[in-house]
Amino acid sequence: MHLTLNVQKNFPGFHLAADVSLSGDRVGVFGPSGSGKSTLVGMLAGFLKPDAGEILLNGDTLFSTSRKINVRPDQRRIAMVFQQHSLFPHMNVRNNLLYGYRRCQVDQRSIHLDTLVAVLQLDDLLERDITTLSGGQQQRVSLGRAILANPRLLLMDEPLSALDDTLRFQIIPYLKSVSSEFGIPYLFISHSLVEMRLMTDTVLAFDKGAMVGQTTSEQLARDRMGSSQVGYINLLNLGRASDNGSLYAYPWGAARLLLSAASDRDHSMAELSSKDIILFKQHPEAISARNLLQCTVRSLFNTGRRIGVELDCAGNTLISEVVQDAVNELGIIPGSTVFAAVKASAFRILPG
Amino acid sequence: MILTESDLQAIWLTVRLATVVTVILLLVGTPVAWWLARSRSRLKGMIGAVVALPLVLPPSVLGFYLLLAMGPNGPVGHLTRALGLGNLPFTFWGLALASVFYSLPFMVQPLQNVFESIGDRPLEVAATLGASRLDAFFSVVLPLSRRGFMTASILTFAHTVGEFGVVLMIGGNIPGVTRVASVQIYDHVEALEYASAHRMAAIMLLFSFLTLLALYAWRADNGKRS
Repeated sequence: MHLTLNVQKNFPGFHLAADVSLSGDRVGVFGPSGSGKSTLVGMLAGFLKPDAGEILLNGDTLFSTSRKINVRPDQRRIAMVFQQHSLFPHMNVRNNLLYGYRRCQVDQRSIHLDTLVAVLQLDDLLERDITTLSGGQQQRVSLGRAILANPRLLLMDEPLSALDDTLRFQIIPYLKSVSSEFGIPYLFISHSLVEMRLMTDTVLAFDKGAMVGQTTSEQLARDRMGSSQVGYINLLNLGRASDNGSLYAYPWGAARLLLSAASDRDHSMAELSSKDIILFKQHPEAISARNLLQCTVRSLFNTGRRIGVELDCAGNTLISEVVQDAVNELGIIPGSTVFAAVKASAFRILPG
Repeated sequence: MILTESDLQAIWLTVRLATVVTVILLLVGTPVAWWLARSRSRLKGMIGAVVALPLVLPPSVLGFYLLLAMGPNGPVGHLTRALGLGNLPFTFWGLALASVFYSLPFMVQPLQNVFESIGDRPLEVAATLGASRLDAFFSVVLPLSRRGFMTASILTFAHTVGEFGVVLMIGGNIPGVTRVASVQIYDHVEALEYASAHRMAAIMLLFSFLTLLALYAWRADNGKRS
């Protein structure tokens, strides 16, 4: 997907300006509430008319004030998944799914119901009334309906924010399938850094109606580490747990971690805040933390009043944060060796 | 027989008039209600007030102005004569036209309410799935407005059945042409035929009660399901 966006929109007390040209299939729009994310999405979908500027998608002009072009929303082939599922209550699951498909030109139908139902695991739901579905099922149907419209771009406007934590992580693999299984580029809107890292590669950051940066989701998370209360969230891919007495042992690449949380899955993802990692210059004689990893410092980066330390721990990457005084005292420089201590209870297994 | 042939004729004419008016208002009132529900025009307030006027206007006032408009020197009268339709006052279609104006708010206001309650989101969803505005109206808005259409149609039908003032002003009292049930009752009373007036009045009362009962029962049932 190639998107060129140069638009301005004024509301009483709010001004949005965006000027960006980007290529990529997994693009994020990040920002706090009121930063202009939804306004941007509305203009892309065609619900809101910019005051000035132009929008081009893959070379096609969707909007241009100078050329007096404003393509209607139904002709843009930009589908959308909303925060609330917004399914049609007078139709069952099958008819909801097929609503956009039936309106799509035959030669543009590359994704069909059978494939979609298999990937999103909707087989048992097809004849169900949508009011009988759980929140997660409704969001899957909503996603499927948008995919089956065979759009050239899918907008996901905070599709996870109405779901609880467990459902959120269960839905993410389905959302990722939009690009990985169906080849549809998407724009994912969220104010969650973790969601951004799981869902996107490139991120447009907005604040108070202005675009404040275009970066990678990983870089965005590192840049925000100093200002975030939870620090940088390391996402660790773990193998199958084994019982280790009072704790559970998980393979993590070539390393092994002890966690207090159990999981019966073959693969789990765990969160670990950069604030929960303590660095030692030498191997401590005795320590209550159950995880002590020998790591090599890969790089240092400055985020406000904190220094981020990128570690290589047996081939795995870990981000820790310390203050400048600690860097000086420990002599942390790229290539130096440190010991990272983490309590077993500091990890959080993500539901899914 | 309980009802005379004249009574039955009046009842049949009333049912025919109410049906015609309801159908016309479904066709005319729906776009008006949609516009009132969706428009941000400055004219919205004025059009809304005009639509609601029959609710507060004495029927004789509305009937008087409609009579002038449809009369030989009125704009509607000129138009109908130019179209070869003749004069409308004291004809069935004159009566129907007047009733359309008189019952307009009973169709438009319930529809406007239901259209407003649906909001923008279902239309935006439909648009992103490739539905044109007309397509979205028929495939999404109409099914979601079923309740409003049912309410509006029943109220319009029942209100037209109960008309008297406008009917008398525009239609007069021509048997089989403009003499509807309410006028028939008036005739019976004028002729001191209280028993006949009673029978017709009782039928009207029962009809109105049953209509409203059915409407409320249907609303309650629908409310439970949704």
